Amino acid sequence: MADNATEPLIETTGLVKNFGSFTALNGVDLKVYPGEVHALLGDNGAGKSTLIKILSGVFKPTAGEIRVEGRPVSFASPRDATDAGIGTVYQDLALNALTSVTRNFFLGREITHFPGPFGVMKMAEMDEIATREMAKIGINVADPNQAVGTMSGGQRQTLAIARAIYFGAKVLILDEPTSALGQKQQMEVLKTIRKVQKLGDIAIILITHNEIHARLIADRFTFLSLGEVIGQGTSKDLEGDDIKRLMAGGAEIGDLAKELAV
Amino acid sequence: MNQTASSRQESDRLASKGWLKSLLARPEIGPIGVMLLLFGMLGYFSIPAGEFSLNPFAGEGFNALGIRNNLRVIAQLGIIALGAGLLIIAGEFDLSIGSMIGFAGACMAMVLRWGFAIVIPYISFEGGVHIEFFTLIYIENVSPIGAILITMCFTLFFGWLQGYIVVRSGLPSFIVTLGGLFFLRGLTEVSLRAFNHRPDQTKGATTVTELPDMKNIINVPGHGEIEREAAKALPEADLQAILQTVPADTVASITERLAYTYQRVADAKTEIMAAKGVKPLERALENAIESGNETMVATIREKIETFTVTPVTPRTVTDLDVVRTYIDSIPSAQPVANFFGGDILEPIFDFLYFPVDWNTNNFGNQFAPGLYSCVMIWLILALICYVVLSRTQAGNWIYSTGGNLQAAKANGVPTDRVKVSLFVFSAFCATIFATCQVFEVNTADAAKGNLKELEAIAAAVIGGIVMTGGFGTVMGIIVGAFIFGIAKEAFFYIPGIDGSFYRVFLGLVIIASALLNENIRKRIMGTL
Repeated sequence: MADNATEPLIETTGLVKNFGSFTALNGVDLKVYPGEVHALLGDNGAGKSTLIKILSGVFKPTAGEIRVEGRPVSFASPRDATDAGIGTVYQDLALNALTSVTRNFFLGREITHFPGPFGVMKMAEMDEIATREMAKIGINVADPNQAVGTMSGGQRQTLAIARAIYFGAKVLILDEPTSALGQKQQMEVLKTIRKVQKLGDIAIILITHNEIHARLIADRFTFLSLGEVIGQGTSKDLEGDDIKRLMAGGAEIGDLAKELAV
Repeated sequence: MNQTASSRQESDRLASKGWLKSLLARPEIGPIGVMLLLFGMLGYFSIPAGEFSLNPFAGEGFNALGIRNNLRVIAQLGIIALGAGLLIIAGEFDLSIGSMIGFAGACMAMVLRWGFAIVIPYISFEGGVHIEFFTLIYIENVSPIGAILITMCFTLFFGWLQGYIVVRSGLPSFIVTLGGLFFLRGLTEVSLRAFNHRPDQTKGATTVTELPDMKNIINVPGHGEIEREAAKALPEADLQAILQTVPADTVASITERLAYTYQRVADAKTEIMAAKGVKPLERALENAIESGNETMVATIREKIETFTVTPVTPRTVTDLDVVRTYIDSIPSAQPVANFFGGDILEPIFDFLYFPVDWNTNNFGNQFAPGLYSCVMIWLILALICYVVLSRTQAGNWIYSTGGNLQAAKANGVPTDRVKVSLFVFSAFCATIFATCQVFEVNTADAAKGNLKELEAIAAAVIGGIVMTGGFGTVMGIIVGAFIFGIAKEAFFYIPGIDGSFYRVFLGLVIIASALLNENIRKRIMGTL
């Protein structure tokens, strides 16, 4: 889909992160193009979390470079990353279940009649925007004043994604968006991701354990193991068995099969 | 995929509620029910024995003085419940409110009585090592607003400090403010004893009395600013001179009103005398009927029928009466003291006495002069809190800080600042409470505000605030204060019941409210 895209939205070269003597990442190169879902796969401890925490401004890399739209960037805080257009949707979604959809959508970035924390919120306008933005990626909220707690896991995921996009995310990092959901809701989330993909100008980094999900919607894959990239390519380049083998951290699945058979 | 199945959305599972159901799902509905029950109890139980009325407002609980006194208790509690409630919504506690009240009252009273000084102690080496004091500033006469601002500096600082320790250390606010509770109460007692001792005493009292009646200092023509009572006690010649300065139409209206009062008082006396006069005869009649003495019965009957009391003649309105009433009507020369400690709605309460004749006591005099000013202050504060909590960005931050701290942080909400601000606000509310008290009664006591922190938290819980934070409304806090404030009065009037049963009742209400709140919270969180 985006094979011929001229310039990646976000690009890392030789990203290294050390925690003391422990090397979490050892020279990771990544290119993510607009309108593309880039699946980041790997076993536990492969360095996925470290990588996305660097991209979202939580950690600073020990070495290496991050470029957003060709310009090198350096993030001092998550706020900087958000301002540069990198929106991260964490597993816990950063939602307050006790308040309404609208209040969550605009949490921390409320639209007010006058500046300052005591500015009165433009509730009608915020309701309208929240409803519209969520409808764009596939969910019609019955009532923007319903508490987030009454929504399904899939709907919450959509709310978090819609929020990130509305507040200027050009690169959307989804951290295991399907992990804690039921089968049907997982499909809902995948549909939502597909809708975002079709918007065409947003690059999605999808962290997942689930190779089936990755194969369903990803255009490009990066496999991490022990802090290094052990395989990269488009969905066309990789055969089904390749994905299985790389998911298992590069170990020959055949060897494993033999071991298990003993 | 099946078309009908796919067109059915997850959101459709949220059944749309009817107005009745959504009304019942409001968190305030339970407390409002309890409040109405208590209102009814207060009204009906306070109807005097032997009288029948379907109107609860006929009872003593809702006469002018009852309303004045009950609303004062409710408003005082309401003020601190706002501070406590907002802080609980943000997920923290303040147990130091009661001690803060005592501290603020004592500080304010001391500054008003002895002035304010900044003293720097230093070690002197001249004539042996000893500590000397250097007085940097000394202001002897501090105005009420000055005293309030000086007190605010201290209390808001303590509020800030507690909040800062909580957010910086991550300690539970329960512990930090428990420390504040002991620290402030002790500090209050220590400083009162240190400043308040007379030369003949080794230790001072923990009370400040003999404060001037600030709110009743008025500007009397020819006498400058003096206390109202002192003005009324001036020599006759002076009072006559003051009368010359009063406009004629004012004199006319005061005279009319005094004539009404004296007439009303005379009528009341006549009624009382009539009732007193007939009663012994009626008792004698009963005895006579019992004993069967026909002639006695007839004689007493006749006496009762012909019993008359000569109506009491009302006093005539004199010039001195007029001028003293005029002095009563002069507005305070200390608007700040009057704002906190004075009365409000006086014209309405005057009107309810004359010509309406509702605000009248058994002796024919005006019952209540007005409502305590703290009622107005409470309502102003509540309105501000309502707007801030439910309409502004800050309100959304407060809810999210208490509802999901990590989520609030991840979305860039300055949660530490939110919490610290609310600790400061809680201290502010305690100071307002103390200010109203000091200017109402012109005394301060180190024991003031004892256990008020728990009452404030209880009122907030009764009003639907969830203790784990993130949920509750200002309307609920107001209703909670009403319930807590009125329960005592309502139980007081129940015949043949120990007055302390109101505590039993409140205990049950607190637990029931907490259970209900938890249930509502779970329903909203989707775990029920």
